[in-house]
Amino acid sequence: MHRIRLKINGKEHEDEVDSRVLLVHYLREKARLTGTHVGCDTGNCGACTVHLNGKAIKSCMTLAVQAEGAEITTIEGVSQNGLHPIQTAFMDKFAIQCGYCTPGMVMSAHALLAENPSPTEAEIREAIEGNICMCTGYQQIIEAIASAADAMRQAGKK
Amino acid sequence: MMKLEEILVTRNWVGKRVKRQEDIRFVKGEASYVDDLDMDCHQVAILRSPHAHARIKKIDVTKAQALKGVVAVLTGKEVAEQTKPISARAITRPAIQYVMAVDKVRYVGEPVAAVAAEDRYIAEDAIELIEVEYESLPPVVNIDDAIKPDAPLVFEEAGSNVLMHDFMEHGKAEEAFKEADLVLKETFKMHRYSSTPLEPWAIIVDYERADDAFHVWANDQHHGRSITNICNVLGIPIHKLRFQVPDSGGGFGIKLALWPYIAILALLAKKSDKPIKWIQTRREHLMAGSHAPDANVEIELALKKDGTILGVSVKDIQNDGSFVHTAGIYGLIKFATMVGCYKIKGTKAELLSVVTNKGPTVQNRGVGKPTMIFVLERMVDLAAKKLGLEPTEIRFKNFVTPELMPYTTPSGEIYESGDYPECLRKALQLVGYEELKKQRDAERKNGRYIGIGISSGVEPGTSNLGYYYTARGTPEYTGNAEGAIVSVDYDGNVNVLVGSVDTGQGHGTTIAQVIADMLGITPDQVSMNAHVDSLISPFLGHSGAYSNKFNDVDLGAVIMATKKIRDKMLRLAAHMLKLDVGELALKHGKICATRDDTKAVSFKEIASLAYKKILFLPEDEEPGLKEIAYYRNPIAKLPSRTDFNIQLTHSNSVHIVVVDVDVQSGVVNFLRYGIVHDCGRQINPGIVEGMAIGSTVHGIGACLLEDFVYAEDGQLLATTFMDYMKPLAMGVPKFEIGHMESPCPYTLLGTKAVGEGGSLPSLAAIANAVEDALTPFGVKVTSLPITPEKVVKAVTETKQI
Repeated sequence: MHRIRLKINGKEHEDEVDSRVLLVHYLREKARLTGTHVGCDTGNCGACTVHLNGKAIKSCMTLAVQAEGAEITTIEGVSQNGLHPIQTAFMDKFAIQCGYCTPGMVMSAHALLAENPSPTEAEIREAIEGNICMCTGYQQIIEAIASAADAMRQAGKK
Repeated sequence: MMKLEEILVTRNWVGKRVKRQEDIRFVKGEASYVDDLDMDCHQVAILRSPHAHARIKKIDVTKAQALKGVVAVLTGKEVAEQTKPISARAITRPAIQYVMAVDKVRYVGEPVAAVAAEDRYIAEDAIELIEVEYESLPPVVNIDDAIKPDAPLVFEEAGSNVLMHDFMEHGKAEEAFKEADLVLKETFKMHRYSSTPLEPWAIIVDYERADDAFHVWANDQHHGRSITNICNVLGIPIHKLRFQVPDSGGGFGIKLALWPYIAILALLAKKSDKPIKWIQTRREHLMAGSHAPDANVEIELALKKDGTILGVSVKDIQNDGSFVHTAGIYGLIKFATMVGCYKIKGTKAELLSVVTNKGPTVQNRGVGKPTMIFVLERMVDLAAKKLGLEPTEIRFKNFVTPELMPYTTPSGEIYESGDYPECLRKALQLVGYEELKKQRDAERKNGRYIGIGISSGVEPGTSNLGYYYTARGTPEYTGNAEGAIVSVDYDGNVNVLVGSVDTGQGHGTTIAQVIADMLGITPDQVSMNAHVDSLISPFLGHSGAYSNKFNDVDLGAVIMATKKIRDKMLRLAAHMLKLDVGELALKHGKICATRDDTKAVSFKEIASLAYKKILFLPEDEEPGLKEIAYYRNPIAKLPSRTDFNIQLTHSNSVHIVVVDVDVQSGVVNFLRYGIVHDCGRQINPGIVEGMAIGSTVHGIGACLLEDFVYAEDGQLLATTFMDYMKPLAMGVPKFEIGHMESPCPYTLLGTKAVGEGGSLPSLAAIANAVEDALTPFGVKVTSLPITPEKVVKAVTETKQI
């Protein structure tokens, strides 16, 4: 067992964890943040995407002990101050069907727009290449991310 | 049937891109999927067979049981003692199968034992401690081997691996083939694939000891049937099973087959002091979470020289793997699309359901219709080539035209609506077909292999369920229906419960739009709890999300229940205003006098009368404002061998695809993807568009990427998303979409199916495009998927994909 200390969505957490516990299981079962999902167990689907120290990572490919001292942001942390423009855009553009991939998609889009505020369609497609959506065929998700980028740039100008 | 004008009092919401009311919880990560429910559970891991075919000699669970944290262990022997076997639906030979392997295993991944423990990590440790002694048996994997007379038997009691073998002829089949100038023959090989919902199967079972009852939470998409099946195998009455379906992360048919696991968990739960939970891993899902069967399809097309298609003959052999509940269904449903969009006077069908040591099968998105449309639309292209016709020309020549509708196909399907020629014309226009052909020809001279593929498909919806039992002759379920409860609360807002499950379709939003226009209110005044609870939701054996029945019977039930509520509110308002019902109208959440808006009562005032001021009610009125309605599709006939009527609505679409095939690497790239589709009246075009695109991407995956490859010994070689490749954002095209709206005369709002949608015609459209691109090499496409390896081999050696 290991003692880990980390910040999740701005809140301090301290817990005893087994060395083999995955970060995603820690987040879901210990911290009870169930917005982060498990879809494939092998790092392909991205439903478990969270931010670790500002970078999008797959929490099913990360051990909880690796998050020692880190700052984690999950989907629950994105809307702490009201809906984020990415979330609003997902709703506006019908980018959601079953919703299971949505948190991971939003986290990947969030990481993209932090680095690249004006992505091309090809860059958006590349940024969500590690996130599988089984429902939408991606088109409305891509439109949503492009539209969120516009909205965020407009808001930045104000 | 009620007319549209009688149903809707306003036209403010139906047909509009109303934002989905479901999305707020999804986008904030606050949805409630089964694994999100805040319950203190023991967790389950399942030991699965490493062999494709083997006898179980001995199982020793001593060590597993002794592991700290293990709560309970269950083996197949106990399952056989405590349950009845799984019932078959379509097959005619006996095949005894329990929800867990008993004396032998029949596929890699078949459940052999299950463990409940304090957490999943311990449960996984425990299954590794179970010692199983197997005696391996020779496996049968492929159709050709399985049907040999001396093949090893998957089910000994059946005496054969062919569990259904039927032959049917419809219309003027003999005459068609006699009159033909040309009979074109081909054999197609269809592979195994699956729509793999992103949320795998998930089940919690709580055994309520004092009542000897079970409480189940599962992401099942056809709980109406699962409840019956589970109660049958467990031998318990239905009132001892409470079944809840919370949010579900996609279904696509694949979540029709998790009920055997609910039975396994129920038996384990009896040994546990807490609820027990099993969350399927992706590996488990790919091995044992059910596939669309692979198939060999021999097809003959009887043709006149001018391109007229006279007859179709199909010999369809399905590799149904090893799930007796589904076996045989895929062949039968092909009657729904046997003649596609075409006027063909006779059909012959020979159907075989073959069992093998491959994994179980289930009704994956489209259920055999993608295969049938693929085979037919490929043949139409091959016929055009043979006869020197354009692919457009042969289609225009044979289409069922709108004047012929309602058109009955030789086997009894009724095409009620649609304009197939106009759909093709619109699609050609959408992509600029003539210009595309010129570009293709010019590029070909430059050594770039561009191809254009067209496919035109009917997309049937609402299953008339009796067809499953055609070969057995005893329909257990017939027709299709759904139930709904609509109530107006004390405060005048509307609450809805339906029997079906939402697996991502936005049912609540669509229903709110319809009710808003029925009552003259706004959709945000209507809330639907999409979470099914068998204790309070209305349900039938048919209840669930499958075969695109929502737009038909689910909305039908909602409309009929809302109509009852509306009629009652009008009567109460008439009583309150001292007017006749005929003098009233619904406006902005009020009921007012048609002649004088100021004479009005609000929904809240009416509700107050109905719920609280009982003594002021008219004497003949019941208190309360809650109505239940069950609605059935009005044109379903009892399916018979001569008159099938398998599906009850008919959407259609044309896909035109332009691909660029890199003959060096074998990679197929999309340049254009045009879709014109017609699903009748659209309630919410934003939702419809997502369905049309999403279903097409399932076709792209099936056509180019996905394949459950089995080794000769029956080992599955694709058990993760690294080997079983799904379409990703970079590999799919930007879709160009055109819509048509030919209302269905037999659904209350003129709606038709859209969910299976593009998964049907896309396979042939892409295959036709690839074959067109490889014309200079003389390559013929007769199998799927079209992998880079197969493309390169075809170009350099075989001339065949």
